[in-house]
Amino acid sequence: MKWKRSRWLELALVVVVLTLVGILVNNLAVNLIRTGLGLSFEWLWQPAGFALSEHTLPYQPGDSTAWALLVSWLNSLRVIACSIVLATVLGVGAGAARRSLNPLLRQLAGLYVGLIRQIPLLLQLLFWYFVAFLGLPSQPFAPIGTLISLSNQGVGILGLNLSVEFSAVLVGLSVFTGAAIAEVVRGGLDSVPRGQWEAFRSLGINEGLGLRRVVLPQALPAILPALSSQYLNLAKNSTLAIAVGYADLYAVSDTAITQTGRAIEGFLILLLSFLALNLLINGGMQVLNRIVVHPAQRT
Amino acid sequence: MSGSRPAYRKRLLQARRHPLQTVLSLVILALIAWIVWSTAAWLVVGADWSVVTENLPLFAVGSYPEHERWRPLLWLFLLCLMTATTLLQPLISRPWRIHGLALSWAWLAMLPIGLLLLAGGAGLPMVSSRDWGGLTLTVLLTGFSGLLALPLGILLALGRRSNLTLPRHLCRLYIDGLRAVPLIAVLFFGQLLLPLFLPVEIEINRVLRAVVAFALFAAAYVAEDVRGGLQAIPGTQREAAAALGLGPWQIQRLVILPQALRVAVPALTNQAIGLLQNTSLMAILGLVELLGISRSLLANPAYIGRHLETYIWLAGLYWLVCTAMALMARQLERQGKSSATEAIPS
Repeated sequence: MKWKRSRWLELALVVVVLTLVGILVNNLAVNLIRTGLGLSFEWLWQPAGFALSEHTLPYQPGDSTAWALLVSWLNSLRVIACSIVLATVLGVGAGAARRSLNPLLRQLAGLYVGLIRQIPLLLQLLFWYFVAFLGLPSQPFAPIGTLISLSNQGVGILGLNLSVEFSAVLVGLSVFTGAAIAEVVRGGLDSVPRGQWEAFRSLGINEGLGLRRVVLPQALPAILPALSSQYLNLAKNSTLAIAVGYADLYAVSDTAITQTGRAIEGFLILLLSFLALNLLINGGMQVLNRIVVHPAQRT
Repeated sequence: MSGSRPAYRKRLLQARRHPLQTVLSLVILALIAWIVWSTAAWLVVGADWSVVTENLPLFAVGSYPEHERWRPLLWLFLLCLMTATTLLQPLISRPWRIHGLALSWAWLAMLPIGLLLLAGGAGLPMVSSRDWGGLTLTVLLTGFSGLLALPLGILLALGRRSNLTLPRHLCRLYIDGLRAVPLIAVLFFGQLLLPLFLPVEIEINRVLRAVVAFALFAAAYVAEDVRGGLQAIPGTQREAAAALGLGPWQIQRLVILPQALRVAVPALTNQAIGLLQNTSLMAILGLVELLGISRSLLANPAYIGRHLETYIWLAGLYWLVCTAMALMARQLERQGKSSATEAIPS
């Protein structure tokens, strides 16, 4: 039987890829033997030996490294979940504001989106941490009654105490992602024909109600997929928390790798933990998609 | 029917003149006034720009040896000159205008020129990449990573749409895999793990490792943008080219890719700007690019508490470079469009 040319091409490619992978793995093996490291995951069960600045589950430096990684994974999850909520509020608000009737509000929202998207996120996080939160007075002060108390030791909201690091990451991620979500929302709103806006306005329905009941339900199928990719971006960007000293998954993995010298194994675990985070967000978005989008609109 | 029309119109206009809109405008005006006032007060009383003014050379070239500093500065000057030339094109009368293609090649030539100036060789004394830094390093990282990521991304995009099963799956795996992980993890891989996968004899320096990591990461995103462009090209284009007797490679190179890339230019521009901003992540991994040099400056006791001035200065610099990139991309796009329409006789 005569093979087609494409078959041969594919076979050649298999050989090339396999050779390449083989060379890389061989190099790795040679290097691991040369340095006497080998591969081992025993260090996971040995005492971590480092403290974590914050933890939701009980944790001491004497606990195992695996436990430290789990605690840091929860820290990541906590800051990501809170940021997703805050970023969505900011983004939907700013996105709707860009299509508001008020020209000043439109300009202000445009300024927010334009400015935030031109400055690196890391720089913004450093700003929120070193300037905004560490710049607060050391004595707590309460701008709005007893609802919020602010100081450079921490932020209290309704009796809930948040660390400065957590607050900086939360605000930084939310403000940055909020600008991206605002663009997504604006695009979604623009996908709804102008006639729909004019129709509810001419019926005397007010702006908020019209947006909620007329425009958004039609815009959501366009918004949700892009929104979930913004949430995944937020999760990826949350790893920059290391720059402000928040004990997130990446920061603690980095510490564990430095302490044990187990770079390959630590990196694998980091990737797997991150995969778990991604799957969680994806699953959540699918549930949301099912609840929010009308069955007839689903594609 | 026509009788009810004024009532509709009246309500439509009422929505614009609702009293709440006036209140909203006043609140926003008050907010803007407060921001302007407090910023002005801070600029006059609180700000101390010595951290910026005393360290301009550091921000520009990092800890590059002082007597060789003219080299990175010359490169930055050339880049500014190129930027000005590109942006001023529409204002120049036609006979003096530089062709878009020539301009693109000149931009491409800036990269090897920069490398030669920075690293040395050809009569210039060598300078170790450990001494590179500041804005120069930021631009260099962006340029070379982008240059590597573009062809790799195009190959991946073509592979993902290929009829061959295995390449298609491999490319998909690569693209989806890299898009799922955070950039800092990829950069960490580049700095700490990449050497483990290379033979013992080969030692590559930190800047090159960073460029490789950035390029591998960005290629996955470029691939998706190029794929978007490829999808925008109707299948009839391929059929028409095949009917003219072009081979599969010729079809891609001469018919499909030029059109697809033109569609993808805005998305690719955004990627390039994102890449420039993301080079700041190398500050975490110990390179003294623009953000890294600022972090080491702020650790200096002489500039304690001068974070805000430094960050505003940096934000301004990043904003300037990003805006220049966006404007230039639009410029090149417009020139490409006009030259493309010129080529087709009407």
